Amino acid sequence: MINLLSRAILMSTPLLIGATAEVFAERAGVMIIAIEGIFLIGAWGGFVGAFTTGSSFMGFVLATALGVLIAALYGVITVKLKQHQVVAGTALNIFIAGIVTFFHRVLFGVPLLPLTIEPFKTMPIPLLSKIPIVGPILFSQSLLTYVAYIVAPLGFFILFKTSAGLVVRSTGENPESVDVAGINVERVRLIVILIAGFMGGIAGSFYSIVYLGMYTSGIIGGRGWIAFAICFLGNWNPLGAMVGALVFGIAEALAIYMQSSGGGILPNELLIAMPYILTIVLTISRKRFNVPTKLGVPYIKEH
Amino acid sequence: METPFIELKGITKYFSRVIANKDISLSIGKGEVLALLGENGAGKSTIMKVLYGLYHAEEGDIFINAEKTTISSPKDAINLGIGMIQQHFSLVPRHTVTENIILGNKSGILDKAVLSRQVRNLAETYGFNIDPDSFIMDLSVGLQQKVEILKALYREAELLIMDEPTAVLTPQEADNLMAFIREFVERGNSVVFITHKLKEVMKVADRVIVMRSGRILGNLPKAETTEKGLSALMVGKELPFLENKRRPVSEIGVDIKQLTVLGPQGHVALETVSFSIGKGEIFGIAGVSGNGQQELGEGIGGLLPIKSGDILLDGKSIKDLSVKERIAAGVGYVHADRLTAGLVLEMSLSENMFLKNSFDPAWAKNIFINRQKLNGYADKAIEDYSIKASGNNELVKGLSGGNQQKVVVAREVDVGRKVIIFDQPTRGLDLGAIDYVHKTILAERDKGKCVLLISTELSEIFELSDRIGVLYNGRLLRIINREDADIETIGMLMAGYEPEQGKTHEP
Amino acid sequence: MNRSKAKLMSPKLRDLIITTFLSVFLGLAVSGLMMLFLGADPLSVYGRLLQFLVRDKYTFADIFVKATPLVFTALAFAFTFKANLYNIGAQGQFNMGSVAAVFCSLFLGGIVPGPIALLLALTAAVVSGGVWGMMVGYVKARFQANDFLVSMMSVFIALALMNYLLRTVLIEAKREYPQTDTIIHDLYIPIIASGTRLHAGFILAVTVAVLCWIFLYKTTLGYRIRVVGMNPVAAKFAGIDAGKIFVIAFLISGALAGMAGFTEVNGVQHMLVQGFNPTIGAEGIGIAILANANPIGIIFGAILFGALKVGGQILGQTSGIPSSIIEIMEGFVMLFVLISYYFRRRIETRREIKKLKSEVAQ
Repeated sequence: MINLLSRAILMSTPLLIGATAEVFAERAGVMIIAIEGIFLIGAWGGFVGAFTTGSSFMGFVLATALGVLIAALYGVITVKLKQHQVVAGTALNIFIAGIVTFFHRVLFGVPLLPLTIEPFKTMPIPLLSKIPIVGPILFSQSLLTYVAYIVAPLGFFILFKTSAGLVVRSTGENPESVDVAGINVERVRLIVILIAGFMGGIAGSFYSIVYLGMYTSGIIGGRGWIAFAICFLGNWNPLGAMVGALVFGIAEALAIYMQSSGGGILPNELLIAMPYILTIVLTISRKRFNVPTKLGVPYIKEH
Repeated sequence: METPFIELKGITKYFSRVIANKDISLSIGKGEVLALLGENGAGKSTIMKVLYGLYHAEEGDIFINAEKTTISSPKDAINLGIGMIQQHFSLVPRHTVTENIILGNKSGILDKAVLSRQVRNLAETYGFNIDPDSFIMDLSVGLQQKVEILKALYREAELLIMDEPTAVLTPQEADNLMAFIREFVERGNSVVFITHKLKEVMKVADRVIVMRSGRILGNLPKAETTEKGLSALMVGKELPFLENKRRPVSEIGVDIKQLTVLGPQGHVALETVSFSIGKGEIFGIAGVSGNGQQELGEGIGGLLPIKSGDILLDGKSIKDLSVKERIAAGVGYVHADRLTAGLVLEMSLSENMFLKNSFDPAWAKNIFINRQKLNGYADKAIEDYSIKASGNNELVKGLSGGNQQKVVVAREVDVGRKVIIFDQPTRGLDLGAIDYVHKTILAERDKGKCVLLISTELSEIFELSDRIGVLYNGRLLRIINREDADIETIGMLMAGYEPEQGKTHEP
Repeated sequence: MNRSKAKLMSPKLRDLIITTFLSVFLGLAVSGLMMLFLGADPLSVYGRLLQFLVRDKYTFADIFVKATPLVFTALAFAFTFKANLYNIGAQGQFNMGSVAAVFCSLFLGGIVPGPIALLLALTAAVVSGGVWGMMVGYVKARFQANDFLVSMMSVFIALALMNYLLRTVLIEAKREYPQTDTIIHDLYIPIIASGTRLHAGFILAVTVAVLCWIFLYKTTLGYRIRVVGMNPVAAKFAGIDAGKIFVIAFLISGALAGMAGFTEVNGVQHMLVQGFNPTIGAEGIGIAILANANPIGIIFGAILFGALKVGGQILGQTSGIPSSIIEIMEGFVMLFVLISYYFRRRIETRREIKKLKSEVAQ
């Protein structure tokens, strides 16, 4: 049981990071449709960086660099060139899938055995991790997890208690109000997109550096979309995202547990499909939504 | 000769289909109220938006205190002390008054209590009664406008540009605003007042500039003008007098009984409203926007459910009919929001004419649209209404506002065999188009149809209506025959004050 | 507009064709640059590619074989796009269609005469995909759920379901691999060009695309779908029930994707195996984007992508370039087309201002 909960928090980490990034972006009116691709390139970049230099830190560096690069491209196409966010994001996701596979071949050829890296060690917090039950669950996680659970409340504070957060929220509700106040709407949106790229890259790299210790093409498998969904289900609030990420983390941990313990009653495929079914169920049952009013609408000034 | 505060020289601005400003030169002095007068489409808003940095002119220069300046964004304008209150407010409805005012003005961590107090003090300085922690979406339009003004004052604006500010106010609120303007100007500041209403100009302006078709036609101190002279400059030609022969009405066509309608947020938008419209009668609804007009139109049109009461058409109740069924029953509806509710901009003129007929088998050959019939119909509308378009397949987004409205009117007049609802039918239109729409409304009435005219333009209500009802806070306060109506009484009713009985209606 | 101008191509159409060609060219060029990373010479690689594509009847026809399912999945996305809805679920609806087609074929094979069984398999695929898609539309209409998310999730669920069925109910007699037995010859879609794999499914695809175009632009229901997509408020005022339109649009969209299941199972694979055609859903979206959701344009876009896929395969066989070059080419072409939309709009606006200025001068 303790193992299960501990793993749940672990699995929730990238979802939380991705969801918080998405919350910021969507609060400013931009949907990061390219998030799945950013997760993927983050996972791949993280692996490549860690494998070639032997340092996990370099893995994170490369992951975030690539994430920001893709986000910049997405930002230019959707904010500057004012193209459709869904269209641009989907194109990028297809593109990234190809590029990543291609360059993996360029760099590593076709290895006989899967390449591995030293998995990222957990960082138990001294003293706190010794507390019975709670200790191993909450305080024996990886550094990335602690970061995630600090960033989310921090994000909440920034969004609702600072002027920068007010600007972001106003951009998503009525960009004209921001424009008229003399702030460049495009710049606000580009900044949140780049931040999302950074955080998405880290979230993706979790899967290769912290969790699996290697890279495979299916490593992300739709989890970028789950982070996207959590933003939605968490009512565009980083604290809500925390709850959402935990729920999905538990779902994933449960699925892994049941698969490894022989499955039994439920077929494997059902367990795999659980998070996705859960997303749909939650999307339907959630009644009140605080959708940012101008979400997805490119801001065009002169007409 | 004192150097003027602001000078514009030779400004020219194009949009993709129209020349908005041609070689505009004007100056604004300190401590003066300058009125920019002109009909809709004259270019008045455009030139001020250039000054405010929202638009970039193709040619021309701006001088502030005799120094050539480049204003490339509202931020620059605000830093130079220029504030603009636009027709459509740029407020965030879900945020509070304080949040809206400090947006972009404060950095770092926000101390809500301190900031709210600052805003409260500022409001009190100018006699504005606003709670800084209330949400914009809960405020009346008049109060929202005050928040917009506060935004500019918070930034220490020395010039306030106001674009058609009284369009959303009751006559009394408008007087209030004029008083504020006078006080503001007495402190040495300037105001540019953009309007198409002559009476306001005569009341508040020191100087008047008349614009037409993107050019300046007159620039005079108010003392040297007359209403007639200004009107002639504004329009440039004599408009034939609108003949309105009223006939006695015998049959009732539409009967509204104790209608109560809830608005989208669940509040009561219309409360026990009762009136009837005779066949061949124009019933005008006067009132400041936001008092239930839209809900009245939408309630009759079928878009909002009825909480209680009934709507009878030719004696039969239609309150349970869907929108589709009401269209088939002969209810036409020219909505106030022509662009969102009445037209599909990316479709052709023909296809827009089809909007209300798509379920009617008379227009289809099996499942296929009868294109020939539709195009013929569109061509006839173009001819009958003098719509300026290159053909029935031109996309509606390429038409001018006036021509777009003509498309809507042409269609709704046809759909509305029995009843036609007109809500703000001439808002934003130039005089030629306004005249056309008015003529159409009268013609439809003369055909024996029931016409409901909802408008915030009192002159329009007075010109066309046979009977006038005033909506205030969702209640129909009084119904007056046109012959017995006067502007003062109507104005008071619009503000909720019942003259004879001496009662004020609590909100 | 005077006669002479009407004869020439309108400037907008000319822009469209030029920019599309330019985008495709740039996309291929940049992909070629990527090949340098593998030490290959893009010019000679592309040269050889072109030779192979046209020299061999089998290879050339394969372009259209590959294009067939892409037409369907692209139509699926484009159809709902016209209603301003996002059907990201074509891949899943395709899977469901495949399952239905193979089930029907295995079940009826030998019992019912060939042509009738084929028709039944097609119907099963259409219904199966349609229902799977319709669920998304229903959820959107009833609960205002986010169609993007729900359709996206439905793909993963469909995949899991298909894999489960392949492992259990549909599994081959040998029970060795998670795949079905092959269907009997009677239930193959007839080949229309001897010596190739080109089957009548392609004709079906083109026909359906044209039918979609006619449906959207010539019928009253198609009109209503477009109104809902372009201006939902005006649709409401026109008495159009948006919820009904959502369900119908997703139903048709899913059915279209389901058809691809039929053509792939009965026309190409003749069985169902795990992980077959895993990317046609996303590629369909890409093609729809390229063609700006126009059904006729989709036909050409699908042929282009078909060529890229065949080309990518050949490159793998002859020059040792990995198959991921296909996705790179697709990706770059899409990105360039997207960028070109922007420039086309700018050129159009500039043209109008110039026209205005010249009118003023007169």
